[in-house]
Amino acid sequence: MLNLIKKEMRLCLHPTVFIFLSFAVLVFVPSYPYEVIFFFSCLSVFFSCMMTRENGDIPFTCTLPVKKEQIPLAKMLVVFGLQCIIMLLVGIMGAIKGAIFPIEQYFNYSGISANLVLIGNGAILLGIFNLGFFPCYFKKPDKIGVPFIISAIVIFLLISIFIVLRWVTPLYSTTLNGLNSENTGAKLVALVIGIAVYVVLSAVSCKLSMKHFQRVDL
Amino acid sequence: MNALEVKELKKVYPEFTLDKVSFCVKQGHISGLIGRNGAGKSTTIKGILRLINAEGCVSVFGKDFLREEMAVKQMIGYVGGGFRYYPMNTLAAIRKAYAPFYPTWNQSRYEKFLSQFELIESKKVKELSEGMKVKFALALALSHGAKLLIMDEPTSGLDPLSREEFCDIILQLVREEGVSVLFSTHITSDLMRIADDIVYISQGKILAACPLKELLNKYKLAQFATLEDATAAKAIGVKSVKDGFEGLLCDNIKGLKNATIIEATIDSIMVHLEKANKEGIYAKSN
Repeated sequence: MLNLIKKEMRLCLHPTVFIFLSFAVLVFVPSYPYEVIFFFSCLSVFFSCMMTRENGDIPFTCTLPVKKEQIPLAKMLVVFGLQCIIMLLVGIMGAIKGAIFPIEQYFNYSGISANLVLIGNGAILLGIFNLGFFPCYFKKPDKIGVPFIISAIVIFLLISIFIVLRWVTPLYSTTLNGLNSENTGAKLVALVIGIAVYVVLSAVSCKLSMKHFQRVDL
Repeated sequence: MNALEVKELKKVYPEFTLDKVSFCVKQGHISGLIGRNGAGKSTTIKGILRLINAEGCVSVFGKDFLREEMAVKQMIGYVGGGFRYYPMNTLAAIRKAYAPFYPTWNQSRYEKFLSQFELIESKKVKELSEGMKVKFALALALSHGAKLLIMDEPTSGLDPLSREEFCDIILQLVREEGVSVLFSTHITSDLMRIADDIVYISQGKILAACPLKELLNKYKLAQFATLEDATAAKAIGVKSVKDGFEGLLCDNIKGLKNATIIEATIDSIMVHLEKANKEGIYAKSN
């Protein structure tokens, strides 16, 4: 499995993967729906899958001494790793922003602030993307567009819901918004819920993808 | 022990069926898998390598493919038609990703092949000629000590000189290293030079699986002046040619008049058996 993961990192990662990781700095943009940062992470997965197809990576990998079901698992583990990095980077950038900017500038007026809740929201978005995209992609690895478009629409609907929640519910607009040092317990709960959703959805996505890929004829 | 045993390999597509294909590749032999385009050669190879979900049993050096997939794959070197993978990557990058999968990887052997094949590792795959791509695939396959080479039309797209060179390399490997080879191709002149056995597949079914010499001895090519002569001689797959009619004869050449008998080639055997097979199918459907 380790060799497969190394192979993925050497041959299958599109350069945009690293460019989009740097988009974590968008948390410094005032009044911006920061959840969009996580969409860029999904976009880099799409580009990597395109590259996988153009490189004939899957047929090549299938001839290597690996079990067929390990192939989607390795690809998804690499993506999960990258998703964890973007969540971590957003957290770090948010913390830096909180430390150096005054509260008026830290407070986000168009969505949730760059705090722990944003990471929780991002985790939910990424978990839903994983569940929507990968099982569909590994059913027909040559068809990348349809699974991505469907997942992208769902992601943007969810981002819209998060923005609406920020405006219509006091929980989101006041309790969960703002600095991590305020209402820390509530923010931690939101983060844990988000991560739990991410873990469950990603695990289900893995299971389904491995099952679907077993039936694929290359 | 057989290097490869394929038993009743079956795959059903809406428009094509690979129908219980069975054959074996003897250890140290080169077996040519022949058949026209769309006959099922690539499907057979994909079925052997489990790239498709096919029914049937495949064993390599006595090990069942499904039960001991990892061990079996260690013994196999797959060479497709050229190296169509990772065109933008350098050979070095591909080797670095490929080699760790094989505990038996021999770097000095790989370097020896690179120098023998005049391959430069800093080059990208897209910068290689078709012949060089095949040689790179071969270098990868041989450097992990593959005992069975499975090659899917490796010489298609190569010029005659490159094909000659490729066949020489394969012959050398079989003689010096005892490698066994399953070589799918529709360029039968390559097989006339190097193959020990022939597996002939047509419309998803095995028409012949025997030593090459046996196949060539079994049939003679007969030329007739008229169609009546050909029919009377019970020639197989009779077709009109420039100077009359031509068909295959099988064990029925004694006392034959009004026919010119010559040695059959793999090409002529394929052409006439395909025609006979097609006529048989038409007859059934009518």
